Formats: sequence, C-alpha cells, structure tokens
Amino acid sequence: MLKLIIMNILDVVNLSKHYKKFKAVDNISFSLKEGEILGFLGPNGAGKTTTIQMLLGVLTPTSGQINYFGKSLQENREEILEKVNFSSTYTHLPWRLTVWENLLYTSYLYEISDRKKRIERIIEIFKLKKLHNQTMSELSAGQLTRVNLAKAFINFPKVLLLDEPTASLDPDVAVYIHDFLLNQRSQFQVSIIFTSHNMAEVEKLCDRIVFINKGKIIADDTPNNLSKTIEISHITFFLQKGTNEALAYCQQNNLIVSQNGKYFKVDCKEKTIPKILKDLMELGIEYSEISIDKPDLQDYFLAKANL
Amino acid sequence: MKLHRIYAMVLRFMLLFRRSYDRISDVFYWPTIDLLLWGLTSQFFRSFTPGADKILVMIITGILFWIIAWRAQYEISVNLLEDLWNENFINIFVSPIRFSEWVSSFIVIGILKGIISLSFAAGMAFLLYKVHIFNYGFYLLPFLFSLLLTGWWVGFFVGGLILRFGTKVQTFAWTLVMVMSPFAAIYYPVSILPNWAQFVAKFVPPSYIFEGARSILYEGKFDSINLFYSFGLNIIYLILGYIFLKRSFAKIMNKGMVHLY
Repeated sequence: MLKLIIMNILDVVNLSKHYKKFKAVDNISFSLKEGEILGFLGPNGAGKTTTIQMLLGVLTPTSGQINYFGKSLQENREEILEKVNFSSTYTHLPWRLTVWENLLYTSYLYEISDRKKRIERIIEIFKLKKLHNQTMSELSAGQLTRVNLAKAFINFPKVLLLDEPTASLDPDVAVYIHDFLLNQRSQFQVSIIFTSHNMAEVEKLCDRIVFINKGKIIADDTPNNLSKTIEISHITFFLQKGTNEALAYCQQNNLIVSQNGKYFKVDCKEKTIPKILKDLMELGIEYSEISIDKPDLQDYFLAKANL
Repeated sequence: MKLHRIYAMVLRFMLLFRRSYDRISDVFYWPTIDLLLWGLTSQFFRSFTPGADKILVMIITGILFWIIAWRAQYEISVNLLEDLWNENFINIFVSPIRFSEWVSSFIVIGILKGIISLSFAAGMAFLLYKVHIFNYGFYLLPFLFSLLLTGWWVGFFVGGLILRFGTKVQTFAWTLVMVMSPFAAIYYPVSILPNWAQFVAKFVPPSYIFEGARSILYEGKFDSINLFYSFGLNIIYLILGYIFLKRSFAKIMNKGMVHLY
C-alpha cells in the first residue's frame, strides 16, 4: 500500500551560483520529499551538475539555503553527509585499488557498525562477487558504474544524488538497478535525486521532474503533466504509394515531417490526426504499419532544451 | 575530529602504496642511491684527507635526517596529487570527512613512511659505513621532529599551489623542498656559504638542526638556542602553510572541484 509522503527531506531555497557575471544557477528553489524520486533534468550546461555539487557540499553557493532534514548543510555538514551519498559515471575511485579495498576504505569514512557484513551485502546486491579482487583499472565501464553505485549505498543513505547512474550499463543490468532503486525507496523511504539523458528511464523512475535551463527552473511537475504540456503528437507510417504527394501535402500544411526510407514521421497536433489521415486517403496515398505516439518526456525535453 | 575517517584515508594510501612500485621505490631506492653515492664519495675524500673521519658521519647523517623532511612534504603533496590523478576528490568530500581530517591523514602517512624509509636507510648506513644516528643521543628526537615540521609546512605550501593551479604545477611536489636544501646546510656548515646565502639560511629552520648536529659531532655539545630558532621558525611557517592550504581549498570549493582535473 502506498504510504502518504509528507515530510521534506531536502529544501533548496533561493540557491544561486555566480561565476563573475555568469549565472550558472540563478535563484532556484525546490524540495525533495521523503521517499520521493526526483528527476533533475536539463540540457548540457543548464546548471544541473553545479546544483548537485552544491547539494553535496563540494561547491560553495553564492547565496541561498540548502537544508537537509530541516538542518542547514553549511552548519551541519558532517551530520548530514553521514546520511547522504552520491554516484556519478563521471567521478572515479582510485584505479589501483580493488573493488573490495575501495568499499573498505569508503566504509571507514562513514560510521558503519559491521563493515565486513555490509560490504559483503553490497557486493552481493550489485553482483560484484566475481570482481571484488580486481582493481578498478581492470573493470569495464559498466562494471565501474556498478562499483560507484555500490559505494553510494554503503552508508544506508537517506538521500541519494545519482548523476547518470545507469550510463554505460547493459540494459538488463540497468533494469535490475531501476528495480533496486524502486525497492530501496519503498522499503527504506530513500529519497533520490536523479539525472539522466534517458527519458524513458526518468519516466519510469521519477515521481516528479525539476527541469532546469540556463540556471533557472522552468518546470517542476510530474512526468505525465510535463508531457501533457506538449501538444505535438507523432504519426508514423510505412508508405506504399504516393511519396511525393505525401511530402507535398505536409509542405502545404506546414507539418514537420521526417523520412527514413519508406517510413514517414509527421509531427502534428493530436486533434488534427483524423483530418490528416482522411486527407492522405483522399489523395490516394497508400500506407501501412501506422502508429500514433502521444507526446512524452523526450518531446518535452527537446522542446524546452532549445528555448 | 573522527579517527575512523583519518584511518580511512591512511588505509587508502597504504593500500595504494602496496600496489605502487613507483612509491615503493621512492621509499627505498633514492635513500639507497644517496647513501651509496655520497657515502663512497666521502670515503674517497677521507682516504686522502688525514683527520677527516667525521666527514663521512656528517654526510651520512645529513642524508638520513633529510629523508624525514623530504618524506613528510612528499607524502602531503603527492597524495594530494594522487586524488587529482584519480579524479577522486569529489568522492572523498561528499563523505563527512573534514578538511583537517584529510590533512591529518597526510601527516600520519608521512610519519609512517618516514619511519620506514629512515629505518631502512639507517640500517643500511650502519651496515655499509658503521655510522649510526643514535650518536646524537637525546637530541635525535627533537632534531627529527623539527625536520618533520619542515616537511609538513613545505607540503602545505606545495599542496596549496596544486589546489590553486592544478596538475600543471605538480612538479613542485618533487622539487620545491630541494630549493631549500642548499640553504639548509645539510652537508656543509653555514659559514662556507656566501654572505647573502648565510642571510637566507637564517630563515631556513633545518639549517639550525644541521648546524647543531655538526656541533655535537665536532665539539660534543649543542646550543639549545638552535633548537628554539628551528622550532620557532617551523611553527610560524607551519601556521602560514596551513592557512595557505586551507584558503586554497576554500578557493577550489568556490570554483568547483572539477576545475582541478
């Protein structure tokens, strides 16, 4: 049964980071509830990484407040960071240490009571048993990602900041990790801030999305509601006859069309779809394998990223 | 300050040390080469300079003492660089570790490796030349401690420079302490230096230690005021070095750690 989520685990209030005149993050405010998975999205250079670094206490904000569990990060850094962790595909653990050694020294950075047991459990969860004696330099990109995630879970975090955590994972492992994250949330009320360029993944995992562009939050809503703000649907069909006529029709009606061999994809408003299909039929254009796709998060991202 | 976090970093450096042949060779190789090269050279001079028996002892103890200052600064600056090379800075500082705990771990690892390196070199000096550092009796401990302090403050300055300018100034980690060595009068008395260099030597804490060591060797006595000057200067430089390192760290926290790589 779904538990009522009420408590804010993280409150970000009027947070800014300026580099001279450049505003990397400009007066943003948002919150993260207990057990919530929040997607933090935006195009490259939008201010996501800068915000995450400030949330982790490794970058000093120009102004604003970051409060975890109702306490200021600046004033209670140690206490807060005991309960927070982070994983990113873009940071590394020492190359010459083995998986086990990396988890061992990390476990000492946190106050973990039964270290050996915890490391063994984490190794089992992230399927690292066969790799535990290998150095980081011997691992593949996907294996490194799993070790980074294992490191992030070592301290039983209450809040996790995951920066593209499933990049370079095989699809089956990515699905396993998704399920693990959802399970952690439902079992232990872990709150997660999640960045990814895989919109399907974000839609699957995140309860809410904060969309940032040019340092400002431009949307804060559920994935479904954000998708609804985009009016454009897509009709895709396999053309059997009348390619030129179809292209001419789209041009005349100012429809954006993309062509891949005999496959046509037309972007249009949802309510115009019946008329378009009727017009194509009247023009004698023959098609098959028709599919109609409603706007999704990917469309939202593409529309907003270019603003 | 939490000991388990300092232990975490020390453990990490020791585990890395075990697998880093370059670091292992630093601990054993250079002291061996110095002892062989300078020991044999001074033996050669002794063979045609009657009454110069103490030259060998002076040079060998100079090498042995300098190991402490060199290792202490090297461990601070090179271990800091290790985190930059591994792009691991963020992973460390997203944990609850404090800046002072991180710096303390460098100090601990410097002491540990200094002991390993000095014990090895002192054993070799005894086996090869029958020279042992216990000649200095009670003074040995304050001498070594003062040199340790020197290593720390040089390490803090080098660490601060690396944090400010990144790996492009990494060569300081190996070279900066050497800039001080001609004025430290490791192998020769301060009096043979030109006047301007003698003036500089007054501000170099190890010069008082090496002068003191020679005074014990040649005259059998030691003026404690030398220890006072050496410790006084070291403490002033240590405070300044720590402030510089901390400010450099604050600067990188303001700029973003990714700018270090």
